[in-house]
Amino acid sequence: MGASVLAIDDPVLHEFAELVGAEGAVSVAGGRTRWEAGGTLSPEAQVVEAPTGIVSYRPEEMTMQVRAGTTVAELDAALAEKGQRSALADRGGTVGGAVAVGESSVDQLGRGAVRDSVLQVRYVSAEGKLVTGGGPVVKNVSGFNLPKLLTGSLGTLGLLAEIIIRTNPMPPASVWLRCEGLSPARARDAVLTPSAVLWDGGATWVHLEGHAVDVRAEQKQLMTLGSCQEVGGPPPIPAHRWTLSPAQAAAFSASEPFLASIGVGRVWASAPQPALPVDPVAELIGQRTKQLFDPASRLNPGRTP
Amino acid sequence: MIPGWLRRQRGPDAVGKTGVAGAGVPAGVDLKLDADDLNMCVQCGLCLPHCPTFRVTGDESMSPRGRIKLMREVQDEGAPVTQDVLRSFESCVQCRGCEPACPSGVPYGHLMEQARESLAEEHLITPRWQRLAFKPLSQPKVLQLGSSALALANKTGLVPRRLGLPDDLPVRQEPLRASGDDVYLFTGCVMDAWQREVHAAGKRVIEAAGFGVTPTNELAPCCGALQAHAGLAGETRALAERMMRTLSDDDRPILVDSAGCGAAMKDYGHLLGTAGAAAFSARVFDIQEWLAEHVDRLPSVAAPLDLRVAIQDPCHLRHVQRAHAGTRVVLRPFVREIVELDDDGLCCGAGGAYSVLEPELAGAIRERKVGVIDQVEPDVVASANPGCSMHLAGAGVATVHPMQLIDQALSQPQPQPVGA
Amino acid sequence: MDALLADLRSALSDDRVRYDAAQRSLIAHDASVFDGGVSGPVCYPVDTSEVQAIMRIALTHGRAVVPRGAGTGLAGGAIPLGAPVVIAMTKMNAILDVDLDNRVAWVEPGVINLDLSRHLRPMGFHFAPDPSSQQVCTIGGNVANNSGGPHCLAYGVTDAHVVSLEIVLPSGEVGTLGTLGPDDHGLDLRGAFVGSEGTLGIATKVAVRLTKNPPAVRTLLLSFASVRDAANTVSDVIANGIVPAAMEVMDQKITIAVENFVGAGYPLDAAAVLLAEVEGLEGGADIDAERISDLGRANGATNVRQAESDEERALLWKGRKTAFGAIAQIKPDYYLHDTVVPRSALADVLETIYDIAKRHDLIVMNVFHAGDGNLHPLLLFDARIEGELERVHAAGADILRACLAVGGVLSGEHGIGVEKQGYMEELFSADDLDHQNRLRKAFDPACRANPGKVLPMGHSCADIQALRAVPTGVWG
Ligand SMILES: Cc1cc2nc3c(=O)[nH]c(=O)nc-3n(C[C@H](O)[C@H](O)[C@H](O)COP(=O)(O)OP(=O)(O)OC[C@H]3O[C@@H](n4cnc5c(N)ncnc54)[C@H](O)[C@@H]3O)c2cc1C
Ligand code: SF4
Ligand code: SF4
Repeated sequence: MGASVLAIDDPVLHEFAELVGAEGAVSVAGGRTRWEAGGTLSPEAQVVEAPTGIVSYRPEEMTMQVRAGTTVAELDAALAEKGQRSALADRGGTVGGAVAVGESSVDQLGRGAVRDSVLQVRYVSAEGKLVTGGGPVVKNVSGFNLPKLLTGSLGTLGLLAEIIIRTNPMPPASVWLRCEGLSPARARDAVLTPSAVLWDGGATWVHLEGHAVDVRAEQKQLMTLGSCQEVGGPPPIPAHRWTLSPAQAAAFSASEPFLASIGVGRVWASAPQPALPVDPVAELIGQRTKQLFDPASRLNPGRTP
Repeated sequence: MIPGWLRRQRGPDAVGKTGVAGAGVPAGVDLKLDADDLNMCVQCGLCLPHCPTFRVTGDESMSPRGRIKLMREVQDEGAPVTQDVLRSFESCVQCRGCEPACPSGVPYGHLMEQARESLAEEHLITPRWQRLAFKPLSQPKVLQLGSSALALANKTGLVPRRLGLPDDLPVRQEPLRASGDDVYLFTGCVMDAWQREVHAAGKRVIEAAGFGVTPTNELAPCCGALQAHAGLAGETRALAERMMRTLSDDDRPILVDSAGCGAAMKDYGHLLGTAGAAAFSARVFDIQEWLAEHVDRLPSVAAPLDLRVAIQDPCHLRHVQRAHAGTRVVLRPFVREIVELDDDGLCCGAGGAYSVLEPELAGAIRERKVGVIDQVEPDVVASANPGCSMHLAGAGVATVHPMQLIDQALSQPQPQPVGA
Repeated sequence: MDALLADLRSALSDDRVRYDAAQRSLIAHDASVFDGGVSGPVCYPVDTSEVQAIMRIALTHGRAVVPRGAGTGLAGGAIPLGAPVVIAMTKMNAILDVDLDNRVAWVEPGVINLDLSRHLRPMGFHFAPDPSSQQVCTIGGNVANNSGGPHCLAYGVTDAHVVSLEIVLPSGEVGTLGTLGPDDHGLDLRGAFVGSEGTLGIATKVAVRLTKNPPAVRTLLLSFASVRDAANTVSDVIANGIVPAAMEVMDQKITIAVENFVGAGYPLDAAAVLLAEVEGLEGGADIDAERISDLGRANGATNVRQAESDEERALLWKGRKTAFGAIAQIKPDYYLHDTVVPRSALADVLETIYDIAKRHDLIVMNVFHAGDGNLHPLLLFDARIEGELERVHAAGADILRACLAVGGVLSGEHGIGVEKQGYMEELFSADDLDHQNRLRKAFDPACRANPGKVLPMGHSCADIQALRAVPTGVWG
């Protein structure tokens, strides 16, 4: 049998695998924008950097193949040239970091969730080997879904080296509205596919994107329901992300500033979220997964996704 | 065993898939099915949700795909006809809901009728008492004296109570008289005894459109549909030939107000395989189907009936004759509102004698149907088949024949729904 | 066997544990072309605790388990290997709760896909994944195969619409994966489970996302004088930044077969038709419909028609969605392939496919989710004719390799099952497969759930050495 189609010939990735090696605690630093996510890295861990650079960008396929160390800013610039964007939010970090953390953008309703946009991952395993999961095309059910497993795993199952991400056309028109006298639930129901509906306890913020006629029509509609003003973008986003159900998020209240993402279940609050209840069976599977992927716990020790 | 590609073949290798022939289990019955027809099924499963027995059981052996597969195994692979195979075949309502759903055009109805005929010849299905029960249907005198076999059975307590047949099945009435010779109105057997009111209403409506009607009365006592479903093809053929002899003096249309009878009569061409039979079948119309072409000749009414009417298409009208569109066309001017049931015309479980032979399944299927009817909250359900009406009425659903509604609208007083 | 049956029957009921030969023969097949499955007892549980009991009993008796939905899988995923206990989910078909506040519905896995959307229609919502088999396939099957459908071009496939799952592990433990929220804390085990083809456990409840019904829908039917023109139109549409709700292509042969069945007014003389649908608000839908029409004309469309009524649209879709079945008008058997290639390679790959079929002296028809580059070449044959099967098999392999060669993958929506296990090593390296196997073992360390599927032989859970030991015809 010949080599598999997905065999990796990029020498840069092989160098990265060698750097990671097969022994000793190790972690990858991206932009360190979410460095404390999932716990504090054990101090003995060697910190490496992932390879950088766009490998191939095929706008007509809506796919972007990029090495994990590339910054999201660089990715965005390349995409913008062709009138596209991705689900990743630019928080000053790298593509690999954004996928490893898995946190979606404030426009998740419009741009999609990070976990739904990762088509293929290449990572260095605990044994120092390069592994590919998923595939290069936009639709694929060939085998088990390693891209889903790696997204949001905080580098505890493998260190991301390269990612193929799905891209999307940039909508022709975009407007942010800040509305008063309009409940977020009502705003959400009044528009078909908002890119974001946010609620800070006082005002509702709506991000409309799409064809200019549609955006205008929905803007008009919202104006009749409350008093809405065009603004430049979302309000400042508090530091701590909470994971709730959409209904809980819509009913969120706090004395400190917060921002709830309606229809998503995300709340950004001023204080960290109390520990979430864990499903014991999910926890068991998670532990077994870690054990099987990284028996010596050398990948990102100290962190738990 | 390692999965391999599907192979279909006759021969010793293939034997025994459905079980081992043992004591009392006949092996290798020739079902005499058309090999090409049988082979048309590609096992895609698209028919499954349109099958009432699969819907209520979720059991592959009670699905069209499963039944066809078992036919194949018996016919092509010599698999024994076990009790479970018989159960699979006998539980089929023969509603033929699977046929219009099948993109391959598998002629399921004919396959099942042939399979039953072959099994009946081998005395594997249709016990004697069941056969006897169909005898009175072709003898109008018996019917007129004592109502139909089912009505009789109902009165004498032979029909399980849970079927809930109404107690007041009509027993004896005057025959309808001819008003002209533009069309025949087929009056049949079971229906004649049970729902003469429907014939009378249909006759008045056709007359209101300006046509003279000859009721067939004794000219054509029975269409043979129930016999065909039971695998008694010989009797069906004899009845068909008899009817063709008596109704073929001229070529006027033959209108049928019972969907089951209409379907059977439209199938004489296939059943007898002669040009004459095909020509006869071409003269047969469902009464709504025919009237839809002449609806402009009906007088208009000042006010339509103030009713929200749900249409329950009989399977033999919708799936077999595929002539259910006419019901809407003829009813629309005469009622306030027509609502459709959101179940793709799934069978109600009546199925001729099915509700008597398979009371449990028939009851479960009906329960599902009643749920679908309740969703649209109609005042009354219009059904163009007496069997369906009786079956639904047994569950307390107010049913009425579309012809009765039009007749009422034309003569104003509100209709009396059955079983309300 | 008697002890196993007795245990199962006491946990369920006599009539919901079947062991008759007819039942087992039927359950040994799905909609695929694969044979050779052997089923053990067939169970019809009605709730989670019964599924749990079956799992535990199977474990005690050393049996594997195979979940089954409607049996419309095309890769043989539901085919039982090695006389396992088959768990038919068709009786667990309740829509448990429609939670509009969270825009999710909790359903049992046996709910039929289209029944769910029908149920949601009066509330103004639907379940977006719409496989062509949606009138019959189950949500559980959709989850297991991560199924797609024409409208998944815009909305994404099943995994984007499943937010949480109750599962029973092969060990009998019951757990919940995923939450209704954004779920970017913790490993995405939900995402790993979706698409695992019944090898990680059994889904017993599924929370699906509700999608709002769009107020405006435009359905276009474009006719072309060549398949290449149709394929080029599709890549042009995407390249121009339009993501329609659906873009489906059918070639002439399949269009004729479909038209025979539905009578939707499909042109019989076009070499290919493109069925494109755009959804959204009125204004934008018109703009997109116009642009797609223009791009079609620029690529030589001979006719562009827009559906004028809901009935017309429904009929066009009915044609597309029953296309596979319609081929029996031509040949009694079909092998339906499922591969994905980059959209820009569509035109060339299609040409190659027609050549391959010609070389093997077979009829091929193409009907596919063009917008995703998801090809479905249909090879027609008659299994009764000596040698046809072998030719189909060979042609299938050639097609697969041709797709891999242009950067494609093995399956876009039907899964690997038993169909494409043998090709996994052509796509993935041994290390890649080893990691997939680890994921499997994290859920099912003892390889009890649907063994012998997905991963090629040589990987612990796929090694069907043990399964092979069960001799044909001895069902003990
Ligand atoms: C005519 C036709 C058209 C089709 N069109 C499409 C299409 O457009 N897109 C598409 O993606 N597919 C399509 N398919 C394939 C098939 O319909 C889908 O894969 C479907 O999702 C299978 O559902 P099912 O209920 O029939 O599952 P089954 O075939 O019964 O099972 C499929 C797999 O799911 C597993 N499974 C079933 N239930 C559960 C459960 N509760 N928990 C865990 N595992 C479970 C089984 O073990 C098996 O591996 C088509 C098939 C046909 C016949
Ligand atoms: S009868 Fe028709 S619809 Fe049913 S499985 Fe066979 S081919 Fe498919
Ligand atoms: S005739 Fe009716 S009951 Fe019989 S298999 Fe077809 S759909 Fe099912």
